[in-house]
Amino acid sequence: MQSESARAASAAEARFRIDAPNSQPRSIKVIALDRPSEAIVKRLATSVWGNTSFLTTLASAPPRDAPFSMRGWLADLAGHTKILVDEIEHADLVVMIATAGESIESTSIIGEACSLKRVMTTGLVVTAPSVPAAELSRSLAQLRPWALMLVVASAEDYIADMLMALRA
Amino acid sequence: MLKKEQSDLLTLTGPGTAGGRLFRCYWLPALLSSELPENDCPPVRVKLLSERLLAFRDSEGRLGLIDEFCAHRGVSLWFGRNEEGGLRCPYHGWKYDRTGQCIEVPSEPVESGFCNKIKLKSYPLVERGGVLWTYMGPADKQPPLPEWEFALVPPEQSFMSKRIQESNWLQAMEGGIDSSHVSFLHRGDLNSDPLFRGAKANQYNLKDSRPVFEVVESPGGLFIGARRNAESGNYYWRITQWVMPSFTMIPPRGDHPVHGHFWIPIDDDNCWTWSFDYHPIRALSPGEVAAMRDGKGIHVKYEPGTFRPLANKDNDYLIDRAAQKAGRTFSGVEGIAMQDASLQESMGPIVDRTKENLVSTDNGIIMARHRLVRSVKALTDKDQAPPGVDNAHQQVRSAAVILPPDRPFIEAAKDALVVRAGTSHASV
Ligand code: FES
Ligand SMILES: [Fe+2]
Repeated sequence: MQSESARAASAAEARFRIDAPNSQPRSIKVIALDRPSEAIVKRLATSVWGNTSFLTTLASAPPRDAPFSMRGWLADLAGHTKILVDEIEHADLVVMIATAGESIESTSIIGEACSLKRVMTTGLVVTAPSVPAAELSRSLAQLRPWALMLVVASAEDYIADMLMALRA
Repeated sequence: MLKKEQSDLLTLTGPGTAGGRLFRCYWLPALLSSELPENDCPPVRVKLLSERLLAFRDSEGRLGLIDEFCAHRGVSLWFGRNEEGGLRCPYHGWKYDRTGQCIEVPSEPVESGFCNKIKLKSYPLVERGGVLWTYMGPADKQPPLPEWEFALVPPEQSFMSKRIQESNWLQAMEGGIDSSHVSFLHRGDLNSDPLFRGAKANQYNLKDSRPVFEVVESPGGLFIGARRNAESGNYYWRITQWVMPSFTMIPPRGDHPVHGHFWIPIDDDNCWTWSFDYHPIRALSPGEVAAMRDGKGIHVKYEPGTFRPLANKDNDYLIDRAAQKAGRTFSGVEGIAMQDASLQESMGPIVDRTKENLVSTDNGIIMARHRLVRSVKALTDKDQAPPGVDNAHQQVRSAAVILPPDRPFIEAAKDALVVRAGTSHASV
């Protein structure tokens, strides 16, 4: 007689996998940390996404000791300023997008807020072969303390694939 | 989650498929050299990329990999007589050389030259490092022979095994770059398996079961770095290499040999898991070789006379619920290889990726799929050779290193991630 594992692993039995949703939509925040990344995020936002919102950090980051709620440095893509804690409060994941070589001061503030609120973070650095290693190092060093997952991608098209894979 | 079309693009590898074209760009391990031990030995059936083939070694020691079936009336040449420079079909005596060229049709007058009109499809078969490699793509695109380090070191420094895995290649390969499962599924084995235990770094693994991952594109595929805290503010990094389409190299532990895999499609529902173990600068010890033969580490014990693991789906992988309860194994299945294979086979022949819920620690898998899909498209649309074909992409090493906190591992461990002949691998 066929063992239970043999029967269960067959293609015929795979047809009986329950066809019902096994997850609820997650809330994902994608935040551009610098200007080139903002352009990337704007391009991404033109696709249709579920419960995902796209944000950008404005020109100058707040001083290091400023409270998280300080206004005026986080905005949605239409330019409306947003309050960081409100944004991440109920997020399942915060994805921070950086471009190698750009300065990304706001990382630590977003990161600290996420770590305080126990929100999962992913850092994504887009880099080109022409970017000097030292500049990539700088971006990584800034993101590393705050990203529980760090990805270095050679092209921005990875981000859309990643968001899709994460059911964004 | 991966769309069905994209999953199909990668999981289906038969003739005429896009994913099949990708695999047909590379030299693939086809058999162990030991399967064709001498001239005129029995031929061996080989199914690769959904093609039924037959491997044989002729009277002069030349290797052939040809269509399994006789062109006359379709008999399997596995029954053939391997003699006098070719393989003769036992039915009506047609004879083929190792290129598949028919060289004798006994019923026809020799002068007619009829046999010249008959040729079976064949592929090159070449010995290197204890493995017989084949290339199944167009002849004009045939790349230079593979230059993986395990295949180039002296034979006493290297050990290779293969086993049948009853699942699609992709879910098996994805298991090889799924670094976050190690702290769970293989938890019990770090301190007990003779091919792992005793490494200083094991303590970091066990103390810090939630590593932080960094996934970085490499020229041939990916580096997957897992970072844990070490002494004095430094990081302990384990860096896995993935080279397209399906080579992985696991970071070493202590002075143990370093190991890794290839996953090669047999057909869409089955694959070969190849498992190598080698040391770059010393011979494997008799004890290590004995442990490998005994199915320790990433190797398995077999059903006698086959490459099918002794623990397989027909015996429920010899699951031991008492060992699971007592924590001797996490899943109840013994041995690292079968712990992985049992779960990957349980997904069904081709897992339905539209139902999965990946999380951010799965970025290694997401990135590998992304690169594979991108390469399949570049190959289909622009005839562009994929990463991993270039010999330079094959000269890689995995590494286990302690680094200061502010340096990217690709830079700080640069030398450790490539082959430097005559030097040992970087390991803790
Ligand atoms: S916890 Fe990962 S497959 Fe179930
Ligand atoms: Fe595993």
